Amino acid sequence: MAKFDPVSLEIMWSRLVNITEEMWTTTLRTAVSTIIASANDFGCEILDSQGRSIAHAYRSMPVFNMTMPNVTKEILKKYPAESMRPGDVFLTNDPWMCAGHLPDIAVVTPVFFRGQVVGFAGNIANTSDIGGSLDAKNVRDSYEEGIFFPICKLYDQGTPNELVFDMFRWNVRAPDMVLTDLEAQVAANASGCERVVAFLEEYGLPDLEELSAAIRGRSEEAMRAAIARMADGEYTNEVFTDGMGTPLKIAVKLRVEGDGILVDYAGSSPQIDHGGINCTMIYSLGHTLYTLACLLTPEVPVNEGCFEPIKVTAPEGSIINCTFPASVGSRVNTGWYIHGAIFQALSAVLPDRIQAGNGLMSILQTYGVEADGNVFNAHFFCGGGRGATSGGDGAGQNMFPSSASNVPVEVFELNSPVLINAKEFIQDSAGPGKFRGSPGERISMSRLAGHPHPLQIYLHPHRLAFAAGGAFGGKPGTKTVVTLNGETLSDANSPMELGYVTLNDDTDVLTVEFPSGGGMFDPLFRDPDQVAEDLKNGITSSEKSG
Amino acid sequence: MEENTHTLSIDIGGTFTDFTLLDLASGQFTIHKLLTNTLEPDKTLIEGATELLARSGVGFSNLSVIIHSTTLVTNAIIERKGSRTALLTTLGFRDVLEMGREQIYHMYDLQARPAEPIVPRYLRREIKERTTRDGTVLHAPDLEEATGIVEDLVADGVESLAVSLLHSYRNPESEQALKSAIASRFPTLSISISSDVAPVINEFERTSTTVADCYVKPAVSRYLTQVEGHLSEAGYQGKLLVMHSAGGVMDSEKARQHPVRLIESGPAAGALAARFYGSLLDQNALISLDMGGTTAKTCVIDGGGLSLSNSIEVARVHRFLKGSGLPIVIPVVDLVEIGAGGGSIAWTDQMRLLKVGPRSAGADPGPACYGKGGEEPTVTDSDLALGYLDPDYFLGGRMKLDRKAGLRAIATLADAVGMEDHQVAAGIHEVVNENMAASARIHIIERNKDPRNYSMIAFGGAGPSHACGVARILGVKKVIVPLAAGVTSTVGCLAAPISFEEVRSLPGLLEDTDWAAVDRLFSEMEDSGAAMLREAGLPPESMELVRSADLRLVGQIHELNVTLPDWPLSGANVSHLEDRFHELYQSLYSRKNLNIPVQVQNWRLLVRIPQREVKLQEQSPAADADPKIALKGRRKAYFKESGGFVDCAVYDRYRLRAGHHIEGPAIIEERESTAVIGPNDAAEVDSFSNLVIDIG
Repeated sequence: MAKFDPVSLEIMWSRLVNITEEMWTTTLRTAVSTIIASANDFGCEILDSQGRSIAHAYRSMPVFNMTMPNVTKEILKKYPAESMRPGDVFLTNDPWMCAGHLPDIAVVTPVFFRGQVVGFAGNIANTSDIGGSLDAKNVRDSYEEGIFFPICKLYDQGTPNELVFDMFRWNVRAPDMVLTDLEAQVAANASGCERVVAFLEEYGLPDLEELSAAIRGRSEEAMRAAIARMADGEYTNEVFTDGMGTPLKIAVKLRVEGDGILVDYAGSSPQIDHGGINCTMIYSLGHTLYTLACLLTPEVPVNEGCFEPIKVTAPEGSIINCTFPASVGSRVNTGWYIHGAIFQALSAVLPDRIQAGNGLMSILQTYGVEADGNVFNAHFFCGGGRGATSGGDGAGQNMFPSSASNVPVEVFELNSPVLINAKEFIQDSAGPGKFRGSPGERISMSRLAGHPHPLQIYLHPHRLAFAAGGAFGGKPGTKTVVTLNGETLSDANSPMELGYVTLNDDTDVLTVEFPSGGGMFDPLFRDPDQVAEDLKNGITSSEKSG
Repeated sequence: MEENTHTLSIDIGGTFTDFTLLDLASGQFTIHKLLTNTLEPDKTLIEGATELLARSGVGFSNLSVIIHSTTLVTNAIIERKGSRTALLTTLGFRDVLEMGREQIYHMYDLQARPAEPIVPRYLRREIKERTTRDGTVLHAPDLEEATGIVEDLVADGVESLAVSLLHSYRNPESEQALKSAIASRFPTLSISISSDVAPVINEFERTSTTVADCYVKPAVSRYLTQVEGHLSEAGYQGKLLVMHSAGGVMDSEKARQHPVRLIESGPAAGALAARFYGSLLDQNALISLDMGGTTAKTCVIDGGGLSLSNSIEVARVHRFLKGSGLPIVIPVVDLVEIGAGGGSIAWTDQMRLLKVGPRSAGADPGPACYGKGGEEPTVTDSDLALGYLDPDYFLGGRMKLDRKAGLRAIATLADAVGMEDHQVAAGIHEVVNENMAASARIHIIERNKDPRNYSMIAFGGAGPSHACGVARILGVKKVIVPLAAGVTSTVGCLAAPISFEEVRSLPGLLEDTDWAAVDRLFSEMEDSGAAMLREAGLPPESMELVRSADLRLVGQIHELNVTLPDWPLSGANVSHLEDRFHELYQSLYSRKNLNIPVQVQNWRLLVRIPQREVKLQEQSPAADADPKIALKGRRKAYFKESGGFVDCAVYDRYRLRAGHHIEGPAIIEERESTAVIGPNDAAEVDSFSNLVIDIG
């Protein structure tokens, strides 16, 4: 039997994926922050000796899977494989190398087999605090966003690098939590390394090279075949984001030629000097590749092979490819618009695959001191309505393009002196279409009666000016609206200046209407039974609004 | 009164209903198997029981107890065949049930949709009321308003009502007030309140569980009444005990009150059977492989105990993917279930790799070799092509298999992936074994244990054909295949203790625990447990109580269950509990986190009455280790280790005797299953007629 026929490759590849699953479980069960343990903002991967990715955990944060190889290759540049020793563990949170903002920490551990580095176990997790300003909306540069670790050894042949640990201890707000999470990453990698060694022994493989080549080869082939089925040509699109008051443009051009794609972001707005909404190139690359993987190779667990046929460029100094020391903390407010930009650009050539505009998620955060003196710091993740696809209505409310989950109302209330008054669908918000978008959700909150201090809710809303678009005659979704006691704090022309809202009295009510998804195809063609059902369910208030 | 000489257990599955009748004096059991009449399963039950008892010359009045497990609840939820159900919830939160946890479950599939909620939005009604995080009632519900809402719902044909209010796990007052007001006004309405069904934090999961509970309540009640009617007509005077998800049984009245607890009734019976054989054969580290037509279930039994989990996800809508089903928060045997069974379909993906499952051909059309129009190759087709199954002895010859149709289906797939037919048949067998081994391995490794230290017990219709292959991948050295492996779950029922677990959430730092409040919770749970036993006609003084707490580090999601020391507890026990937690944590994760405080999430009380010990009949050994008297023929079978098809002995399981030794390769047939022994393996028949296979 050939070494990697369709049976043996399926089996060995699944084995590697299962190793990353074990890493994922270890991280999940031993991390302690809400953002990692509850909202699952992390990812785990196995890479070959050249730092090329070959397997990732099913629920890894998608963008982390795409950027992990880059970090590993950069580590190899600084510390060539020959210089690595068993027990070494590398760390960096460089946003230009890793995942686009400082809280995303990459931990990379070399796998040693018979004295050689045969691969790497990698883990990126969004730490709960990295220091810097709490008013993320008003930072002016990267220096204000927290502590920056260039590539360094967290462990040197098993010995902890005390300087790095001390830097954490003295620069982040909840160091025990941050260091415990970091240790969870280290432990997950250690288990990954152990399992890869056992895997090689079992199959009698000297290293991962041939297997990596087979995995990447099959994946590249699948990606090239999918691209080749697209008509050659240039597909362009522009989308706008709220920016920091003045809309910013993301211009994308996809040149499909034979079995390759060149994606270029020329024409996108220049980077801006505050607010943290700039994307580093590696982050933009990650989102670009993720979008194309969803469209072209949904059955392939992504690895380096999928990326081979795709080249991505963006002008230096743009919001898509910003230069140090631009602020990048809230880069999702730009980067999450890349998906919609590409979907729309490819709508003519992949009409069955694309998704109409997506509502996008947001995070509300509380930070302060409880009546009993305890500090609270809680995140409330709120999903956006998904855009419709050719297969039907939008797929609910969720965090796409992130794989995070929400935080239950009861848990959020337990962790901060807040009373949520409602978390409900907004009537008539779903972008109409033959297939409609998913409705947006309305969150209303007050201060818990009896709390002795003013309560600050931090938020950095987006989709204030630009709703998720419809596709093929479908209608757009609805925008974000923030109101305090019925008074609108933000609209298209005057976004909120502050990155927080203060509830001074028990009667103050903050309401945020989160965006819904866009529809697909003309609403006139909607199945009358579905129209009636939406009406009956109160998703719409009249047949016309459907 | 006649003498109680026997016990009977009955397991109703989607395809077959299995019966085991145990003679209490001799330990001999007799089995029976019937196709399930899915429309009227109660008929199958009484028909099969009557046949089996008549065959054995035993009267219904001779039965000391009847124990029953059933897939009724799971199927009602999967097929959405429960009653018309509405939800009454806190104003502003009726959409919680539909939003779920708002997490994508398939990263690359833009059309992967969440499961439809059981209650559509127009039947989800809100009432102005609010309880806060510490249990303070900020605003009590207006009961008049509530009955008005319910009046509308009842007029709309609603039979069942779920009531789930925010923070009711902390203070059930408002839910209880609503329940009594509504029940007195609408006595025939079936009502479940979340503080009864699943009094734990997390509004979505609690509501989802409560809704599922009352969705199946009328059906479960009707069904149990029918069954009890048939049994009493037949002359049975004892109790009907029903298997719940946590691997114990409860009386039928408790089952009517808590029907959602039956959701994993069938798989729990399988797990109990594994535990029973584990202790019978003195196996301390055992993994079970229960492989049926559609799925394979594995569970781990360490030191003779089943481990429990606090929740399960059922009715997954998308390839068994986590997140695509409905969460149910109940105590449940911790097992993993994957889409790997005899009916699992083999296919090829975008990269032309060979994949097996999770899609299943089910019973209709079934595998291609069933000859009922199935065209896609399945695991059963591959097992037939490889010579493991005899087309003329499937179900003891009751069903003929069409070998040609199976081969045709495999040939089509072979073309698609560019391999030889026999390589694809062998590939299907290998890949499905890998899938099962992978899920078992993750399950074991999550406990920080090494699979190579485990033995395996294999049962279910397809389990014995795949067990040796799965064991080899895991590095497991010993496989046990019990006699009547196709109906092993019913043996599990016989060994079930009467038990019920109650849980209450009172989240907070362990060191800040209000011990008086915890004491009150436990008294409450104890009263409820004693009431259950009294209702079941059992003396409450025979009950064993196990108190435990779900602990975790502040911020973590995953809890560890720590058994509490002697009652009552006080602040002095904190360090003991912390030490136990850290010990357990260390054993699971090989690390300690002493800087992060320990938090308690839930308090649990398990009420239990041990069952009478089940003794199986022992055989005296055969005169000779040579099994030639059981040899029924020879046929070609494929073994990778032998490099292809080789001549292979076929044995009749019923003619094997204790002490017989069989060298692989060999095939051992009984009516409901076929055991495949690899060329490097060897089997020995033990005194209980189990096959004990050494994996070479």
